[in-house]
Amino acid sequence: MSKSKLPKKALVQKTFAAVSAAMAIGGLASILYADEPKPAAPPQTNAVAAKASTPDTNSVVVKTRLTGAELYSIQCNRCHQERYPTERTGAQWKTIMLHMQVRANIPVSQARLILQYLQENSGR
Amino acid sequence: MKNKMRICRRMSGLVAAGCALGLISPLHVAATVSDADFNALRDLVQQMNGKLHLLEQTNQLDQQTIQQLQQQLGDTKKTADDAEQKSIAAAQAQTAPIPHMPIDETTVNHNFQMLGDAEIQYAQTKGQNGAFVMADFAPIFLYRAGDNILFEAGFDTTLQNNAPNSPGSSTSFDLSFAQMDYVMNDYLTFAGGDLLLPLGTYVQRGAGWLNKMPDDPLAVDALLPGSGIGGMLMGAVPVGNAGKFINYSVYGVNGPGSADGTANANVLDLDGNVGVKSDGTTANLHKNPSGGGRLGFFVPFKPHYDLELGISGQSGEWDDAGKYLWSAGVVDAAVHFGPNFQINGEYILTGYGSDQGFVHQNGGFVQTGYKLAGLNREWPIINNVELVGRFDYLHDGLGTNTRRYTVGYIYYITNTLLFEGDYEFLNSNDPSQADQFILQLSLGF
Repeated sequence: MSKSKLPKKALVQKTFAAVSAAMAIGGLASILYADEPKPAAPPQTNAVAAKASTPDTNSVVVKTRLTGAELYSIQCNRCHQERYPTERTGAQWKTIMLHMQVRANIPVSQARLILQYLQENSGR
Repeated sequence: MKNKMRICRRMSGLVAAGCALGLISPLHVAATVSDADFNALRDLVQQMNGKLHLLEQTNQLDQQTIQQLQQQLGDTKKTADDAEQKSIAAAQAQTAPIPHMPIDETTVNHNFQMLGDAEIQYAQTKGQNGAFVMADFAPIFLYRAGDNILFEAGFDTTLQNNAPNSPGSSTSFDLSFAQMDYVMNDYLTFAGGDLLLPLGTYVQRGAGWLNKMPDDPLAVDALLPGSGIGGMLMGAVPVGNAGKFINYSVYGVNGPGSADGTANANVLDLDGNVGVKSDGTTANLHKNPSGGGRLGFFVPFKPHYDLELGISGQSGEWDDAGKYLWSAGVVDAAVHFGPNFQINGEYILTGYGSDQGFVHQNGGFVQTGYKLAGLNREWPIINNVELVGRFDYLHDGLGTNTRRYTVGYIYYITNTLLFEGDYEFLNSNDPSQADQFILQLSLGF
């Protein structure tokens, strides 16, 4: 009797683990893909109207892309107090950002935008 | 005589009249020209006209050619003048002193950087005398050799009292890490050397002034290696344009070793297996290296609101005979709710085989901080204060279980100069451990 109960218990545990894992993966995926920029509006039949709407579509895309200043606030504040861009020169920020990019393992494309912001606002 | 005079007068009158008549009368020349002569003359005139026309065209072409030559001559003269001016300027530049140029990034001074932190600490353990217990200087040297290559090394210089075994004090100078980073492309970076291992995030990003507490979590110190000698591939992949990304690390290192050369050769040594032995030979203390890695997710909702999750692990043999494995698994999480509140923690599970059986170890910590600036009050001192708290615990698998509760504050003198105060309540079956009060001045640079 006890032998027959053990496999059932193990089966329940495995099922619970599988469901939990699926929920965790699904939850992570939903978080990762939530609030993404909506695709551009479908093309309009009126050519003039389509031309007129093009700048608006572009502006929507630009607004949803984070700027270097925003990425700086997001990434640097994760581990330490924000450092003022004026504390270093543009060349110094280049070296420091390469270090931070590796240490925090952040995307190179984001590191470039942060570096551009720091250099544009650097002290000297 | 008078007749002669009369005849002369009449002759003169006739001659004068004839002259006058000749002057008044039109001259009429009667000529007779044949048709052949006229045609020949006409042809001659036409030929002359044609030649004249050709001469006029030739003249126009000659004029145009002359104008072009004059223009070319002007251009040539201008080029010659410019060249002369440039040669004069070059000659003057060669003779003039070199002006002072601002330091740019091509100079070695700006490719070299020093970051790091420094701390001084005062502590009083319950039942003992309080003392200044630490003076720590921990610089990180960076050298960027181009756009994609970075050499970095961190050191830790500390002072320690030799009591109770001997008088005096000693200074330790430890290499915390030393690695070369090569960014191969946007998604792949190679790091090699003495690596800070991505087991959780605290080991890589929690040291010194980055930590909100004056000391490390118990489990991080006791269960995880501080660094490892080897190589690592790492990278991050953005997901969308809103700042989300997935990052990964995969590495191979010597891994933990045994406490060779001591009476405890079968005792695990997390940090000792650096590849060079005290006798100068180079060898791993066991046959095979260890492997590990981390997978992380980062999701920002907006600036200062974000979530980071990670799972990491490492496994490999540790004893000289290669009979037993040491393995570790870490789950880490961090959340920021605005610029003033954050919470983060790690759960660490490790274990290793030994002659005495498999040793299960686990521990973890959860710590949080709230900056009183979030109250939006016009209190100058209060606005620089952050309240902090931490719970951490350790089960070392060898009989010692410790729980620690820490409460404290951080006063931000500047954004990089922190004055911290903490009280740690300990609950342990190890009688040598007791409650502790710590003050620390910490500087990040």
